Amino acid sequence: MTHFNRRDALKILGAGALATSGALAFPGAAFAARDKEMNILCWEGYNSAQVLDPFREKEGATVKAESLTNDPTMINRLRSGEIKVWDLINVNNPWARKIMYPEKLIKPLPKDVFMPFFDKMLPQFHPPYKWAMSDDGSELLGMTQRFGPYSFVVNTKKISRKTAEETGWDLFNDPSLAGKYGILESDDWNVFNIFLVAGIDPFKTHTPEEMKTFSDTALKVFKGARVIGDIATMNQALVSGEIDLHLTGGTYSVSPARADGFPEMRAITPLKGPMNGKGGVSWIEVTSTVNNPNLSPLAVEFLKYVQDPKVAHTVAFAEGTFNPVAQMGNKACFDLFTKDELDAIQWDSLEEEMARSVEYDIVPDYEKALDLMNNAKRQRS
Amino acid sequence: MSDATLPVVDAESQPASRLTRWRGLRLSTGARCASPVALFMALGFLAPLITVIGFAFATPRTFAVFKSFTLQNFAEIFDPADTVWMSFAWSLALAFATVVVLLVICYPIAYGLVRVFGRWSALISIAFVFPLFISENVRLYGWTLFFINHGVLDGLLQEIGLSAPDVLFSPAITLFGMVYTYLSFMLFPMTLGLSMVPGDLIEAARDFGASRLMIWREIELPLAMPGILIGALLTFVLAAGAVAEAKILGGQSVIMISHDIEIAFTYSQNWPRGSALAVLLMIVIAGLSMTLMARLDLDRILGRR
Repeated sequence: MTHFNRRDALKILGAGALATSGALAFPGAAFAARDKEMNILCWEGYNSAQVLDPFREKEGATVKAESLTNDPTMINRLRSGEIKVWDLINVNNPWARKIMYPEKLIKPLPKDVFMPFFDKMLPQFHPPYKWAMSDDGSELLGMTQRFGPYSFVVNTKKISRKTAEETGWDLFNDPSLAGKYGILESDDWNVFNIFLVAGIDPFKTHTPEEMKTFSDTALKVFKGARVIGDIATMNQALVSGEIDLHLTGGTYSVSPARADGFPEMRAITPLKGPMNGKGGVSWIEVTSTVNNPNLSPLAVEFLKYVQDPKVAHTVAFAEGTFNPVAQMGNKACFDLFTKDELDAIQWDSLEEEMARSVEYDIVPDYEKALDLMNNAKRQRS
Repeated sequence: MSDATLPVVDAESQPASRLTRWRGLRLSTGARCASPVALFMALGFLAPLITVIGFAFATPRTFAVFKSFTLQNFAEIFDPADTVWMSFAWSLALAFATVVVLLVICYPIAYGLVRVFGRWSALISIAFVFPLFISENVRLYGWTLFFINHGVLDGLLQEIGLSAPDVLFSPAITLFGMVYTYLSFMLFPMTLGLSMVPGDLIEAARDFGASRLMIWREIELPLAMPGILIGALLTFVLAAGAVAEAKILGGQSVIMISHDIEIAFTYSQNWPRGSALAVLLMIVIAGLSMTLMARLDLDRILGRR
């Protein structure tokens, strides 16, 4: 057995302090070691062991992933100086093209390597895919994978799919449904949806009158909600009968309940709405390489790795939520999905629901709308 | 390196005033040994606190900490159109109610642990400590499953032809969750306080004819007061910052101030507003705590004078 005396302990402490100060004094030395490490800032799923462990083994690398559940937080993590920390960022479609690339938070991908992958994706992603490209179309800014319609969810045993699709957002204006619906805690999406319940297109600059209507609608919708909570809470409340429907929801949120044997819970995309006639909103994730001064070479390798049909299927059914992936355009990937898995992600109506949806965009007066919505939320007590 | 290369400094030859000043600045051995820990504390505790305070005075929706100074964040919070006062009110009211309910619930349990349960006390104490090993969120989700429609309670009552009351997603169930979560934080300081009351003193008072109420009021309560106060303060401070109970059990039927701070740092991306709210919460809690402590003269309670 080794015995340590006080002098040994001091030596170890001294060595530790020296090592720490050395790393701080010579960041170049730390930079050099990055070929075996990579950090991902992402929505849940990409941080799961099913997705990351095979990559870790293949590359013999240390891969760290942090999962967050809203885009603005992730973008501001980069803005606040964390571009030196992260190698990949996975957010919804508008951010790469409209915000992150103009602000130099991300860097383009080599087109010759990655453009061919888009040829094998579902038709709507064929190149040049708008949200993966820079505004002028010259640069490839990220890779697409998961996507889905995201409007609201109903228990079709209580409200039929036909009624829900035809009535659309007006369901939440119906006084007889007060106390029977929930609101998913997803505030950026709730801003879109309160606008839609008010019959206003969210993705434009709003007049004071429209903002007043938004505020009044927010007060009414939040007052009438039985519960506000996360995805687990919404699904649990739907299954137990506490609520019949919930606002902000789609295949992303309801697929776990459907996969668990509750196919009557269904994501709904309204047939019509105030966005040039469309009533639904969809999302498409774009994963980009961060403008890290010492970007890990594994970042690009990881983006290639998740294009593999088997890995793409794993990403689609990673823990937490289940979603369609763009790689389902490749037969080798599509064939990996079982009938139950296709049912869980509502493959039967996916195409028509995406067609009835506008793609997630940035609300120009989001901050003001969010403040009004938070005021309304507090007044529900 | 040989000693010959070192300059020889003769302390006696230094001017007296410089030497005195140097001695005045010298740290004691204890202070020097403690300095790494003090430095660590300064970095780990003070640095984030100062950063939060700095952010509170930064331009709204920017990261210009220590580069800008404005009172706008506080002005917005105190604007009558801003309903954030409701979150403060709910947090403080529910924290106060939690303390009151826990004082009533925990006193008999603590009394039992000290004077009644005897050798079972340790086992009962473990029963109260054990839930703390499980994540608070998991325990609260457990309660949701217990109270939810067709859940454990409803299922059991349906067996006998009854149905469970509709308690979930309300302020009342939020209070229940807070009482459940913070029970141990009140119970154990209170138990410690009661265990400090000498049994001889109670027997002596009884021998002199004091009634049970008089013994409780004149002996037991004053002597156990340090533990009771510490428990109440600890519970209040923790409960004022609580958020999980209102989110999971309460279904956000009320918005707590910690939730508002969280929203400011996440969806709103207004770190200066979140920091200003956090600073105000710290001031309110510290103010209330210090006022309470000042009124209750701990020295006298602790018997130092």
